[in-house]
Amino acid sequence: MSRFTPKVEDAMLASSTFSSLSGISLKPAYYQGILADLPEVGFFEIHAENYLSNGGPARHYLHKIREHYPLTVHGVGLSIGGETPLNIEHLKRVAKLVNELQPAVFSEHLAWSTHHSQFLNDLLPVPYDGPTLDRVCRHIEQVQECLQRQILLENPSTYFEFTRSDMSETDFIREIAKRTGCGLLLDVNNVEVSCFNNRTNPYDYLNDFPLNAVGQMHLAGHTIDSNTTLPLKIDSHDEPVSQDVWALYQYTCLQLNMMNQACPTLIERDGNLPPLTELLAEARYADTIRQTALRESRYEQRI
Amino acid sequence: MNNEFKAALLGEDTRFYREIDALSMQEKEIRLNVYRNNVVVSLIDALSDIFPVTQALVGDDFFRAMAKQYLLVSPPESPIISEYGHLFSDFIRQFEAAQSLPFLADLAALEYSLLALTHDTEHATLNHEQVAEAFAQVDDPSALYLSLPPTSQLLASPFAIGSLYQAHRNDGHLRLNQVAINEGEYLLLAKSHLIAQLHVISYEEARFFKQLLQNKKLEEALPDSDDFDLGATLAKLIEWKLITNIANQPLEAE
Repeated sequence: MSRFTPKVEDAMLASSTFSSLSGISLKPAYYQGILADLPEVGFFEIHAENYLSNGGPARHYLHKIREHYPLTVHGVGLSIGGETPLNIEHLKRVAKLVNELQPAVFSEHLAWSTHHSQFLNDLLPVPYDGPTLDRVCRHIEQVQECLQRQILLENPSTYFEFTRSDMSETDFIREIAKRTGCGLLLDVNNVEVSCFNNRTNPYDYLNDFPLNAVGQMHLAGHTIDSNTTLPLKIDSHDEPVSQDVWALYQYTCLQLNMMNQACPTLIERDGNLPPLTELLAEARYADTIRQTALRESRYEQRI
Repeated sequence: MNNEFKAALLGEDTRFYREIDALSMQEKEIRLNVYRNNVVVSLIDALSDIFPVTQALVGDDFFRAMAKQYLLVSPPESPIISEYGHLFSDFIRQFEAAQSLPFLADLAALEYSLLALTHDTEHATLNHEQVAEAFAQVDDPSALYLSLPPTSQLLASPFAIGSLYQAHRNDGHLRLNQVAINEGEYLLLAKSHLIAQLHVISYEEARFFKQLLQNKKLEEALPDSDDFDLGATLAKLIEWKLITNIANQPLEAE
């Protein structure tokens, strides 16, 4: 068992709005509005790779916003699922940023993007077999060692399954959490997208998912692929959260509450950016679902 | 396996297809196409964000076709996507379809340099009052040392790419016919506060700034030319907020 199992940030998180109120993605278009209005929101999440420069507007505004809100840092480039060794130089730059910002959470993906020195700018899938499990666990341990903290690993959105996979995605993820002591980021939209694309039931997926390791959730919008032969959902992050995802989220909150676990939640948006108020409204809607689920689970526990 | 996966994403290579669990070749194609599209479109979009003036000049269709050719031969070498494209201007220089625009590669290089400068370290600069005070404190201003941000760059371009860039940035529409593109220009790329600035400067100003960047005393930095107006040039540096330090001694090398 990894020495990162105890969450050193627990004491700090308990008093922060990270656990109690939902957050939204921080985008440059929102910097000025956030600083002018200081809206009520639990936290802001950034992509680490957008803030690794030595200077410039992004870092400037981030530091101003950080004076008012908790942050979470989401890595999109460590390529934890990669076949080739991690890019150590990049990992060190990410570690420096994480050390500087002291975010409530650092998360990354169960995916690969770099092969040798080439970066493909997408979250590409991995097969669920023994050799991949060993490699992913080694990489996570390396990241946790370098960052000196537990990370959360996000379940992927996928568009096909590998013929060589010999375990389910949920078993694969459970084993990673067990071996490395990492926490999990449950992206509910990814559950909907992957299950739809792979013709499986998202509620079965959630029932199999190791919810006890979940430290954060993501909600996002998806679109439908343009091909007319085979319906596929695309994890595009450029639409409001869809009704089917809200329903899955409600179900998940209920399960988490029955386990006495908090549900820190992010409204994730990367494209087709609406006015900030629309994302804030989605964050408040998520809060409402969480609070309602909390009441319902308390009622169920009483009877 | 990821060698094959990558080859399938960036080309027509089908060795990877056996890894995809699907009922038909068509289904494998459709599923893989989602990833192909993600990779190619996201990288074209990234280049479009990094080279907006180059794109405006050649039009969206031409730019996207050229960007696709580039990303297939030069995928990013780093996960920091804003740093992507450092070989794009070299690619454009060799790109057959762009040969009728011999200045295009230089323009792309300029855009890349400006973006890199914006992302570079900030250096505090003096305001108007601080500059006036520094000059008032000495009997002989010509013995002073003026510092510019050390990240500043001077360029001599055979084409008027600075004017071209500014024509685009000023109103969003390129007025290529209003820029005498074949006239050479001297350019100063410098950063004050958060954003890189581009200034088209005279030959004398370029010589003067070069001396300042080499930590020369004001009197040693003055170009020996009747066309140089020290007062006017200092006024520009104050207006652009590019003076980082004024001192009796040269800055020690960092």
